[in-house]
Amino acid sequence: MSFSIYETDKQGLTAFYDAVAGKFETYAPVEKFGKFDYRRITKIAEGNPDSPIAATMTVKPLFFPKSSPILKFQENKEETLISNNIEGDLSSGKRVILGIRHCDARGLQVLDKVYSWDFIDTDYQKKRENTILVSTRCDKAGVNCFCTSLDYDVENSDAHDVKIVNGLNGKIYIKAVTQKGEDFLKESPVSLKLAGNDSDEEMKKQYKSFESSFRLKMNYKEINEKLQNKFDSPEFETISRNCIGCNTCAFICPTCHCFKISDEKIRDTGVRYKSYDSCNNTYFTLMAGGHNPRPVKYRRWRQRAMHKFVYYKERFGVNLCVGCGHCAISCPVNISIFEVVNKVANS
Amino acid sequence: MNYTKQIQDIASKLFTEGKIDIFIGYQQNSFDDNQVPVLITDPAEIPKLVFSDKSVFNLTNYLKFEHTKNKRVGLVVKGCDSRSLNLLLTEKQVKRENLYVIGVCCEGVTDDNGAKAKNCEVCVMPDPVVYDEILGNPSGKKPYRVDPDVAEVAKMPLVERADYFEEIFQNCIRCNACRHSCPLCYCSKCCIDQETSTLYNGSNTVSSAVHALLTWSMHLAGRCVDCRNCEKACPSHLPLHLLHKQNEKVIFENFQEHLSGMIADDRGAFYKYNQKDPDDFIM
Repeated sequence: MSFSIYETDKQGLTAFYDAVAGKFETYAPVEKFGKFDYRRITKIAEGNPDSPIAATMTVKPLFFPKSSPILKFQENKEETLISNNIEGDLSSGKRVILGIRHCDARGLQVLDKVYSWDFIDTDYQKKRENTILVSTRCDKAGVNCFCTSLDYDVENSDAHDVKIVNGLNGKIYIKAVTQKGEDFLKESPVSLKLAGNDSDEEMKKQYKSFESSFRLKMNYKEINEKLQNKFDSPEFETISRNCIGCNTCAFICPTCHCFKISDEKIRDTGVRYKSYDSCNNTYFTLMAGGHNPRPVKYRRWRQRAMHKFVYYKERFGVNLCVGCGHCAISCPVNISIFEVVNKVANS
Repeated sequence: MNYTKQIQDIASKLFTEGKIDIFIGYQQNSFDDNQVPVLITDPAEIPKLVFSDKSVFNLTNYLKFEHTKNKRVGLVVKGCDSRSLNLLLTEKQVKRENLYVIGVCCEGVTDDNGAKAKNCEVCVMPDPVVYDEILGNPSGKKPYRVDPDVAEVAKMPLVERADYFEEIFQNCIRCNACRHSCPLCYCSKCCIDQETSTLYNGSNTVSSAVHALLTWSMHLAGRCVDCRNCEKACPSHLPLHLLHKQNEKVIFENFQEHLSGMIADDRGAFYKYNQKDPDDFIM
């Protein structure tokens, strides 16, 4: 099925963004302390949908917040009362997210698999259904990016609903990628002009120029096959030596989805929270009896690398790493998962 | 400030003489001009070592890990790094005889944009205070200055300042990278670790961020050496130095101009009693 393509210019795009921000509950990267995070905006001037990828946090917290209440409880002499009605309903209304990257959007598509697996996370599903992702394609790859080297087609990705491409000819193309995106653009608060016949060609040209700007490239199939037999590779010890175990990589990863459950209790009442956790954390695998199957750093790193590139692919058919490079950008000692898997696979 | 050649020579001498098992230095990033730490066990890797004004990370952070503990370690320290090393020695976390320390007289490091790093502007001790070998010419102790950012925040009206700090705590994602990257945070069980702590709830809510960051900064009061490893590690780019520099200011003003880690075996402001210590806060 082919969807409509519209064309506009820089001012037209700003007007479109502004109208969207005025009409819907809109989120876009907003700068705080030199880092862009997705926040609620009402005017496009408050945010920057073209924020540099190196300084932008992932969009994951809008679907899977860093900490969310899952239930409330109250103890009295006879029984414990449990209620699922959390103040400020978890599932939101219709939302639009502007300025999301192709890799970030793919991250959500990857997360969908695990959230609709044995336990259906209704809150996550609801948020996904209610949200329209307007994705801007990067013009140039960042130094740590490698999205084009992985198992998904970045050019024709359907992880987002609408994609915006800055054509090399100065025109900006707005293309619906899903039915949801098509309907959203049809009801657009500003009238959009349908693009000419050359639009597909121009978008391809932009992709070619984008693709050629990558510093990091790898053969995904080969790496994935080689890694399957590298569980005992001594290289894991060498590559993890630099790691200071700070957990940042997992917290800012668009696809890391491990969480812990904890209770916040004052006297007889309390709230149960679900919060981010990381497999690089020493306590992550600590059992009640005191045994820890991953007591040393290289074993935790092995789990991280293998889960990203082997286990998830085996179970769900998609690679858990989307090649956004957020981990390498935020790592205080610049460890890149790209380098790790390449070194281990070729050891 | 380029000591690449000297450091490589010293490292290879140490390995040939069998004095060390592991050498901790800096290596060049392959794709930009920043440097990252490197831990060398094989003398063949020595050519990787570099040192320039991009050698930012405080390497004494690595002394707390299982793969360096109780090993003979050679490492490079700048002024601030050597102060944290001094504290680790005082607090009996590392053995002096296990270390071979190359001290560099620091002329200030640069940040990602090539400008002089902010902590170097208010540095009190650019020369190493612990070393076996010294590189460069010592320039001596500098007078203490209040951090300009701290002074600016102190000028804000109370409500505005509260909002500013709330913004900081809201942006905290509780990854604890600040804690992990701090050379002086070596406890095997930490009170801000959600898993082991009963003091703090396990959630990543704003209130837990307030608890964690304030407790953490209070544990470092009178100990923080302003290397700003925590800020480099923070994925949200939070200005964590505001907490530490404020503590430093209070301690400097109230505890006989105490600065952490400047002299060997100095147990810090909170560990010693002095008759001149202020007591006007006692009712």
